[in-house]
Amino acid sequence: MGNEKGYLALVLHAHLPFIKHPEYPDFLEEDWFYEAMVETYIPLLNVFENLTEEGIDFRLTMSLTPPLCNMMEDPLLIDRFSHYLNQRAELSEKELTRTAGTEFEGVARMYFNKFRRYKELFENRYHKHVLQGFKKFQDMGKLEIITCCATHGYLPLMVHKESVNAQIKIAAKDYRSRFGKNPRGIWLAECAYNPGDDKFLRDEGIRFFFTESHGILHGTPRPKYGIYAPVYCPNTGVAAFARDMESAQQVWSAESGYPGDSRYREFYRDLGYDLDYDYIKPYLHSDGVRRNIGMKYHKITGKVALNQKQAYNPAAAREVAAEHAGNFMFNRQKQIEYLSTLIDRKPLVVSMYDAELYGHWWYEGIDFLEYLFKKIYYDQDEIKLITPMEYLEIYPENQIVQPSMSSWGDKGYHDVWLNSGNDWIYRHLIKSAERMMELANKFPNAEGLLRRALNQLARELVLMQSSDWAFLMTTGTAKEYSTKRTKDHIKRFNELYEQIQGNRINEAYVYELELKDSIFQQIDYNVYSSAAKEAVLQKY
Amino acid sequence: MEKNLSSASLVKPVQKDTNAEADIPFGYGKTESYLLPKDPAWMFLFWEITQNTLDYLKSTYSENVLQSARTIIRLYDVTGVNTFDGTNAVKFYDMPVIFEARSWYINVPQTGRSYVADIGYLTADGQFILVTRSNVSSVPPGRISDVIDDKWMIVEGDFQKLLKLAGADYIGMGASERMQVVGQRWKLTELTPSGAPSSWSSFSLHLDKTEDEDIWLKADCEIIIYGSASKNAIVSINGQDIELKDGKFSIRQHLPAGSVVDLPIRARNAKGDKTRQLTIKALREQGK
Repeated sequence: MGNEKGYLALVLHAHLPFIKHPEYPDFLEEDWFYEAMVETYIPLLNVFENLTEEGIDFRLTMSLTPPLCNMMEDPLLIDRFSHYLNQRAELSEKELTRTAGTEFEGVARMYFNKFRRYKELFENRYHKHVLQGFKKFQDMGKLEIITCCATHGYLPLMVHKESVNAQIKIAAKDYRSRFGKNPRGIWLAECAYNPGDDKFLRDEGIRFFFTESHGILHGTPRPKYGIYAPVYCPNTGVAAFARDMESAQQVWSAESGYPGDSRYREFYRDLGYDLDYDYIKPYLHSDGVRRNIGMKYHKITGKVALNQKQAYNPAAAREVAAEHAGNFMFNRQKQIEYLSTLIDRKPLVVSMYDAELYGHWWYEGIDFLEYLFKKIYYDQDEIKLITPMEYLEIYPENQIVQPSMSSWGDKGYHDVWLNSGNDWIYRHLIKSAERMMELANKFPNAEGLLRRALNQLARELVLMQSSDWAFLMTTGTAKEYSTKRTKDHIKRFNELYEQIQGNRINEAYVYELELKDSIFQQIDYNVYSSAAKEAVLQKY
Repeated sequence: MEKNLSSASLVKPVQKDTNAEADIPFGYGKTESYLLPKDPAWMFLFWEITQNTLDYLKSTYSENVLQSARTIIRLYDVTGVNTFDGTNAVKFYDMPVIFEARSWYINVPQTGRSYVADIGYLTADGQFILVTRSNVSSVPPGRISDVIDDKWMIVEGDFQKLLKLAGADYIGMGASERMQVVGQRWKLTELTPSGAPSSWSSFSLHLDKTEDEDIWLKADCEIIIYGSASKNAIVSINGQDIELKDGKFSIRQHLPAGSVVDLPIRARNAKGDKTRQLTIKALREQGK
C-alpha cells in the first residue's frame, strides 16, 4: 500500500447485441457496431497505446461482452467494417479540399487524421482483430477484461436456473477461447443481480461482479462501509462491488453533466444531411436515404436550432475535456478525503459507465479519459486507480453480505425489461428454455446432425434472451427491429424443436440458421442439462 | 419516423427466410403459470389454461359450481417454507382475475418475501379449486436491512452519512437519463428534426432533487382498459385488434407523465357491416 488516501475503479461496459445479417448485402442495424468501433473501441485502444508510449501507468476494468467479441472476430463483419472505415477515410480526404480556407478546415483535418490513425491501428497493428489489442493491454496488467452474461441475458427474469448456468458457462468458455484464461470478473447484464446466482459465477472461477448501489445498500446484514468497499456473497465468497452514484451523476446528469458543454460536438448535426446529395450519396446506404454518417462539423453552441449551430473547434473542445477531467479528479479527491473520515480503511469509489458513452455519445469522452489517466498519474498522489482484483489483494478480508436483488435500470429493478410493452416475450423465453432443458436431458450424447440441431437450438435460445430486445421495446427506439428479432428467434427455435422432436431434422434449415445466427461456434447444448445445474447447486 | 427501421425493407434478401411469414405461438398447449418479480412491490404472473383442462374441470365439478364460482389468483406468502404443498404457507391473499387475461400484475402485500401464485375457482361455499400453480419467486426488500453484523460493527451516525453519500434516497433515479441516452443511440434512421434542441439540453428529469430533505416520494401510473362485447365481435383498441375471450377483454398500459391517451375502442361484427365505438381519454398531467 502506498501513500494514497483511497482508490478509484473505472469500469466501462462495452456491449452490443449480436447483429449480423449475411442474408442482406447491406444492413442498417449493423452500423451500430461499425459506429462503436470507429468512435469508441478503436479510439480507446488508441488512448491505451498513447499512454503506454508515454510511459503512463493506468488501470481500467472493461467488459467486452461475448456478443461483441463474436462480432469483433466475425470475418463478414470485419470485412464490412473495413469497408466502412475506408469510406470514412476517403470522404475525410476529399473534405480537406472542400473545406480548405473555410471555418470547417480544422474539424475536417481532425477527421482526416483520426481515420488515418484508426486505419493504421486496425489494419497494421491489430491486423483487423481488435481483440488482440485489448488482450495486449490485459497481458500488460493495465486492463482487466471481464465477461458478461453470454448474450446479455437478464438473469433475474429467468425462472430456470439452467438458463442462468448456461448464460454464465457459455460466456466463460467464449472468454477463455479469446483471452486464454478464466474471466476473473463479470458484468451482469444491466447489473441485474438475483441472490444465489453468484453460485454459477463461482463455479466458473469468477471472483467479482458489479451491482447498482442499492444492491449492497439493501443487502443483509447492513454493509458497514456502505458502497465504498466490496462485500462477499454468503457461501460462495464472490465479491460484489457497488456503483458510486456521485461520480455517475457527474457524467450523466442532464443539468450539470459534462457532455452538455456548448463547446462539445453536436450529435444531431451530421454531414449525412448537410452535404450536397450527389457528393455524399456514395457514403450513404444503398437505398440512398440521407442518414447520419458519423462526421459532424458543429458544436452544441447552446439551446439553438440545428441550423444555428456554430463550427466545431477540435482544439477548444479538447481543452474543455481536459478541464472536465481535472474537475472529475478534484471531486474524487474531495470525495475520498471525506470518506476516509467515515471509514476505517481506504475507501474505494467504483465509477461505472457504458463504454459507448465515451466517443459515440460524448465525442470528447475519449479525450476526457485520456486526460483523466494523465492527470491522475502526474498531478496528484491522493487517489490511485485500481482494478477489483488489485483491491481484493490489498483487502482480502471483507464483510459477508447477501446483496439485494437489483439492477441499474430506471427505478432500480426490472421495470425496463418487464412492463406492459414487452411482458409478452417472457412466455416464450421461459417456455423455450424449458424445451431446451427437456431436449438436453433427453439427448445427453447426441452426434452428427442431431448434435448440430441441438447446438443451434441453444444459439437461438441465447439470442432470444438478449436483454437488448426488451430494452429497445421499452425505449421505443428500434422497436420494430427488436420485436422482429425476438419473434424470429422464437420462430426458429420452435421450428427446430418440432423438427428434433419429430425426428425429421432438415439439414438445409439447420445450415441456414448456422449461417445467420452464427454466434458461439463452440457452443455445447449440454450446458442446459439439469445435471449441469444440479452439479453447481450441490457445491455451494 | 419509426418506419423503415430495418433495412429488411430496403434491399431484397439474398436468401429467403423459410418461415418469415409464420408468427409465434399463441400458447404452448400446456396448463401452467409462471411468476416473475418486477420490483419490491410488484410481480408479474402469466399463465396458459388449455381447453382440455377446462373440459376436465367441467366434467369433475358440476357446471353449476363452476359458473357460480369466482375466478381468482391466490397468492401465498411462502417465505421460509421449504417445500410448499398448498397448505403450509405463512399467509395467503385472494384477488379476482379473468382467466382470459393470460397475465396479471400483482401488487404484493409485503416486500422482501417469497410468493407462489395459484389460479383457480373460489366456489360459492368457499372451496378453492386449483387450476394451475406457479413457481416460487421472491421480491427484494427495497430498503436498508435491520440486521446488524456483530463482526462488522457500525457507528450509526457514520453509517447514515455513508448512506446519504451513496445516494440511498435516490435509488433508481437518474437511470432514466441513462436510458434515454442509451436508447437514443439506436436511433439510426430517424430524420433530424430541424430546430430540435441538442441531445443533452433537451432532457428533463421528473424528480425532486432537493438534497436536504429526508423524505422522498416516487410514483408511476398504468391504466387498465377492460370491457366486454358480443361474443363474435371483433374488438380493436386504438386500431389494434385485441383478443376477446368469452366476450371479455382487458389490456394494461403504461401512462407516462405528461401524456394524453386517446383510445378509441371499436367493435365490429364478423360481417363488418355493423360497428359500435367508445372512446376513453386519459390525461396524466406533468406535475411534480
